[in-house]
Amino acid sequence: MENQPILDTIDPELMDRLAVRREEIDRGSTPSKGVIAALALGSVPLALAALSKDLYAQGLPTVIQNVLDFALALEIFENEFYKAVLGRSASAAQNTAFASVRASAALVPGAAATLDQIQKHEVSHVNFLLSAGAKNVFALDATTFDFTGNRSATGGGPFAKATTDLAFLLEVAQGAEDTGVRAYKGQAGNLMSSPAILEAALRIHSVEARHASRIRRMRRSAAGAPASVRYSGTVRGGDAAAAGATDLGTNAAAVTAAFNRIYGAGADAATAPSEANITQGGIDLSTLPNTTGFGTEAFQEAFDEPLNRSDVVAIVQPFFIPNIF
Amino acid sequence: MSLEKRTVVIDRADALFQATTRRGFLRAMGVGGSIVLLPSVFAACQSDGATGVVTPTNTTYTLDLSNDIGILNYAYALEQLEAAYYTAAITSTGFSQLSPNEQEVLTDLQKHEVIHREWFKKVLGTAAIPAINFNTTTVGTLTANRTVLLSTSQALEDTGVSAYNGAGKYLTTPAYLLLAGKIVSVEARHAAAIRDIRDGANGRLFAGDDVVNTSTGLDVKAEPGTVGGAVNGLNVILGSIAIGTPPDASKKTPDAPAPTPT
Repeated sequence: MENQPILDTIDPELMDRLAVRREEIDRGSTPSKGVIAALALGSVPLALAALSKDLYAQGLPTVIQNVLDFALALEIFENEFYKAVLGRSASAAQNTAFASVRASAALVPGAAATLDQIQKHEVSHVNFLLSAGAKNVFALDATTFDFTGNRSATGGGPFAKATTDLAFLLEVAQGAEDTGVRAYKGQAGNLMSSPAILEAALRIHSVEARHASRIRRMRRSAAGAPASVRYSGTVRGGDAAAAGATDLGTNAAAVTAAFNRIYGAGADAATAPSEANITQGGIDLSTLPNTTGFGTEAFQEAFDEPLNRSDVVAIVQPFFIPNIF
Repeated sequence: MSLEKRTVVIDRADALFQATTRRGFLRAMGVGGSIVLLPSVFAACQSDGATGVVTPTNTTYTLDLSNDIGILNYAYALEQLEAAYYTAAITSTGFSQLSPNEQEVLTDLQKHEVIHREWFKKVLGTAAIPAINFNTTTVGTLTANRTVLLSTSQALEDTGVSAYNGAGKYLTTPAYLLLAGKIVSVEARHAAAIRDIRDGANGRLFAGDDVVNTSTGLDVKAEPGTVGGAVNGLNVILGSIAIGTPPDASKKTPDAPAPTPT
């Protein structure tokens, strides 16, 4: 480890902990493959996450393990989705399915670059979570998803239009990103016993929000987009209205129901309110001083809302062929 | 002319330095009106003995980050900064140089940040730090044209994201952590929108490689000391933010890239 100049930038307390760990290793204990791999990559965040796992000799606490496994499933889903869109899936069938919309995206300045940038982050999140100890408990890979929402290897679900229509694809991508934001937000409290993992989760959470914001701006820039899709990238309103979807495909009822789950209240509205919520910490935002004339929409946009795990599973299960969680 | 129109009420020291106040002052003087300085002005002012000129005090806003209230006050300080900046921004010359679509973004951001500021103030109640006095000259410079308006906005939003991402681990009350999480994703949406405006058609800056680590996919984060230094460096506060008691050292992590506009 004395040949790791990158560690020079770490603060003294962490160096102390690393030193203690090294003494243990010198006495015969071995660092996990995760720590070794992360240091080989020269990645301090990866090494810290792996180290934090390493420090739990008996494995991660169940509550944290469960969050990591859940997050990994969502990130694999997102990664495989964007890989299929970009023609990078290990499944030829997935690549073929999205060929039409891929050609459309190539004609819009910045669109392909954005999808590429997002996919780069999603695969990084997958690898990061694995390094932090997450397990792929449902053996998810390119072939375990039906991005049309029919849980079938042959597709045919209500979201099939995403494979051929760029505007519809972006509606779905926005929904996936916003679901991710709500999912991480809902799990933060479960990670409080591990500051390093909590912080990493928060740092993924804000990346998902950046993604959702950019997709909103792409959608708003297209002709016919409603003003409820804010250029500021924030979430206006709740339930399906918050999606600002002008095209509901061939099965409008199913797509509307999905957007209701993505932007509405979860099963327990007390802990997972609708995105339309304007009461925060017991305070009705509309009663705050210096906000006269702001309008209800601004109060809705100013705070995002969490979802509980079961709410998120209900949203994404139609896209997973195997049963999850 | 009514009495109200001939009386200029000054309730904050920095109001003395605002153009609208100065115009009101001159107008009131011209018609024999009066200037009322409320006691709150003098609480934040000191008199220059030699000249008698009243100048705003350079106040040090000291944060105790050893507990949740202190962390919330840290967030409150940042929200005060953002709200003050955007409130000035939406009537600035720089704003007038934005397209209508771009103006929509700034207008949204101003509302959201004022809501955040007022919300923190109400939540903290008597435990809140004072209202921060801002250097209106510096704020004016940082809103003087489209370019500086957007680059400053980006720096503020990325700083907000990095601050919340770095401070969440210090909160010990789950409800406060959740509320901070509800705000940080909005700040991240803002940051991406401002970056997207500055990006043109490249399509990557919204979550650019300068803020999102290319191997881990993790966003910026900064410890409070780093954020405080960055904020003080902007010279928009009359005085400075200081950390009296640092947060729990055992939870400290290395900072990820400092958010500077590219």
